[in-house]
Amino acid sequence: MRTRAILGSILASASVLIIGYQAGVSVTTGDGTSLTLPVGSTTSESVGTTADSRAISGPTDGTYTGSSISTRFGNVQVAVTITSGSISEVTALQLTDADGRSVQISNRAAPILRSEVLASQSAQVSNVSGATYTTRAYLGSLQSALDQAGA
Amino acid sequence: MRHVAQTMGTVASIELPSEWASELNAVERIFREVERRFSLYLPGSELSMIADGRLSLSEASDSLLSSYSRALEWRTATGGNFSPHRPDGAIDLNGIVKAEAIEQAGAQLTAAGCPQWSINVGGDILVSPTSGATNVATSSSEPLRAGIADPHNPTALLCSLELRHPRRAIATSGSAQRGDHIWRGGSTEPAQFVQVSVVANDIVTADVLATAIVAGGQDALDGVSDRWDVDVITVDRLGALHATPGLQSSLVRAQIT
Amino acid sequence: MTTHTSTRRLTAQPLDVAAVADYRRTFARRARRSDLLVMALWASGAAAAALFLASGGASQFTSLTETITSIGIIAGLIGTDFILVMLVLAARIPLIDAAIGHDRAIAVHRSLGKPALYLLLGHGALLLVGYGMATGINPIAEIGPMLALPDMPLAFIGLGLLIAVVISSLVAVRRRFSYEGWHLIHLLSYVAVAFALPHQLSVGGVLSDGTAQRIYWIALYVIALGAIVTFRMIEPIVSSLRHGLRVSAVTAIAPGVTTIQFSGRALRQLGTSGGQFFIWRFWTGRTWWHSHPLSLSAMPTDRSARITVRALGEGSAQLGTLPVGTRVSIEGPYGLFSAAARTSPKLAIIAAGIGVTPVRALLEHASFAPGDATILLRASTPEETYHWDEIRAIAAAKGAACYEMIGHRPASTASWMSAADVDRGVTLATAFPDLADSDVFLCGPTPWLDLVEADVRTAGIRPHQIHSERFDW
Repeated sequence: MRTRAILGSILASASVLIIGYQAGVSVTTGDGTSLTLPVGSTTSESVGTTADSRAISGPTDGTYTGSSISTRFGNVQVAVTITSGSISEVTALQLTDADGRSVQISNRAAPILRSEVLASQSAQVSNVSGATYTTRAYLGSLQSALDQAGA
Repeated sequence: MRHVAQTMGTVASIELPSEWASELNAVERIFREVERRFSLYLPGSELSMIADGRLSLSEASDSLLSSYSRALEWRTATGGNFSPHRPDGAIDLNGIVKAEAIEQAGAQLTAAGCPQWSINVGGDILVSPTSGATNVATSSSEPLRAGIADPHNPTALLCSLELRHPRRAIATSGSAQRGDHIWRGGSTEPAQFVQVSVVANDIVTADVLATAIVAGGQDALDGVSDRWDVDVITVDRLGALHATPGLQSSLVRAQIT
Repeated sequence: MTTHTSTRRLTAQPLDVAAVADYRRTFARRARRSDLLVMALWASGAAAAALFLASGGASQFTSLTETITSIGIIAGLIGTDFILVMLVLAARIPLIDAAIGHDRAIAVHRSLGKPALYLLLGHGALLLVGYGMATGINPIAEIGPMLALPDMPLAFIGLGLLIAVVISSLVAVRRRFSYEGWHLIHLLSYVAVAFALPHQLSVGGVLSDGTAQRIYWIALYVIALGAIVTFRMIEPIVSSLRHGLRVSAVTAIAPGVTTIQFSGRALRQLGTSGGQFFIWRFWTGRTWWHSHPLSLSAMPTDRSARITVRALGEGSAQLGTLPVGTRVSIEGPYGLFSAAARTSPKLAIIAAGIGVTPVRALLEHASFAPGDATILLRASTPEETYHWDEIRAIAAAKGAACYEMIGHRPASTASWMSAADVDRGVTLATAFPDLADSDVFLCGPTPWLDLVEADVRTAGIRPHQIHSERFDW
């Protein structure tokens, strides 16, 4: 009886560990970060058209929201946009947290789309920040036009 | 009113109420002083004389030594991504003195009691502490809207954002417009970011960190956003954008205009 | 030694083959359940480690810092799993009680205490070192930033409470406390477990929002705490209210020994098997805070039950003066010292002193063919022969052999028998000719019982045939 319990325990534990390991490998990407992609269940944010039926293999186009991953520095959640079967955009949805340290770490720059800043391009501005222009380059710059208008 | 003047190899654009126009003399004096002392283009500047060996560092003025030591502190803090030395070893305080000049000019205006002002020197902008403040006593509490130039089209904006107290300063560095004006530790690789804008509470921090990120690439970007309370937006060589959450939230939204 | 039954055999009686097969099957089923529980225990520990691997943990061993941190996280997961398993074992779940018995469940519970604490201390220490290394500061200095994280102060308090609980349970320390004082400290483990949960869910990446790991982990907590609430709180209250037990008579039957009679409702539906115990609480101003694990000394009728108490501790001494009508609450029945543990049709029973109480109920309830049961009653003096008359009567009625052995143990040799019987050459084999094929039920004070058990083992009886109940308190 004892033998059976011991052997059974070893077998059960080993299989549980192997299952866990396998599950872990499938979500681990090259750089060690892990994403959970609920493949097949697109979220409400789905952008882009769904891939046509020929694309059987590979992920379906759309935007996938990853689960919120709690880290030592706060919660991190990303959305992945897949176009033509490959990742075209990774957007951070949740990077901040209440405690100071989390804010510091999750304050990291994340990719944003040009379309996200598009609206602000048309705003009325009085000053332009740009890489230092020489006196000569200034004449062709937007700042020079603004200065003339404001003078 | 707006006042435009050439200084430090670029153009300064100062905006302030007309009744404070008399203060412009003081501001220009500050700029001239900085240029006279630190320009490597003026053979007679104090810094040129040190570079030539005509003047020993031990004989240098207090203000030069103070700028130099501040720059050295920044070199340590940025892990060498910002450096007050040219590859040939000459001291080049260009990366910090312009921001220091803006800082001094701003302090001068605030000390004189000028309620609302902005100083833009070669694309590095500092606004008065009252910008965006909700103080009833000040006549205008509108935050200043600053545009960020599109590195691929100097006459167009990449985006625009609001500078409001305490985020009063924005500086942009690039690797395109004046060639590689930022030393990148002897690397011959093209810079990862063609343009980096940093929004910070003070203009020296903004300017130095923008320079450091252009020099250090992604690692410097992560390091800066981890360790400093700043907002950053970068444009890489392919034109893709990265921005910190804080910057995204200060973007001017369409409905506001 | 005197015998009170007419037959006195010296040769083994043939076994009833069909009955043997029956008991073998029952025992095999119980052994299977017991083995499954052992497997579940280890598998749950492995599952805790697997949670970490499943969230990509396998790749987090590339540097020393990462390895230390990863091992720290795994230690925390396994340690917490052990704590939850301990709660399950202490919850007196009927299924577990029937499979391995209350005593063994508590023994396993105890044996897990120190490993769990070491794992959790290791968890804290390794993470301080690992995180400290990652940020370039020493582990002590890392405590500051660690405490700044949400839910971490609670987790630190939880670990502190757990240390207190385990230390208070070390044998040497536990002796300094009354059972109630110790139990009060022990209850802090629930607080510790509750305090530890928030940081697992908020700070750890393994159990993050929306993952299967998080669901599994919360389910573990629900099962462990749910079992405690169900079987140690709700079930006893419901059972006590339903059966409405009250003290109906208190009778001194010997110096320091008292029988307490109870009246109640539908007591047969308690499902008591002879030999099992209940945890009793007597609701008087002096005694309500003291709980007593005591066996029934007779099978209950539908409206009455009885226990027999010997004043062993300060708490049980007060029971001799309980007023009639005192309300009584119960938890139980518990224990495998009953027919449920049997592996064979034959019975060999040895009981000493107040240890006759469960044996009296066991004998009354047990089914056996006439001649298949032998009982040996043991006392140092004739005054300690509690309920022997009753046992004699039951033995006679059911056809069991009943031996009585009165007298002090020999001073020179270690024997559980009386000096006179040792001198006469009485041995286990002469008293129990069918011993090899029997279930051996032993009940008595610990030092005496250890001697009997050693003797029984020497006679070649296998552990699963031996069923012991010891008095410690």
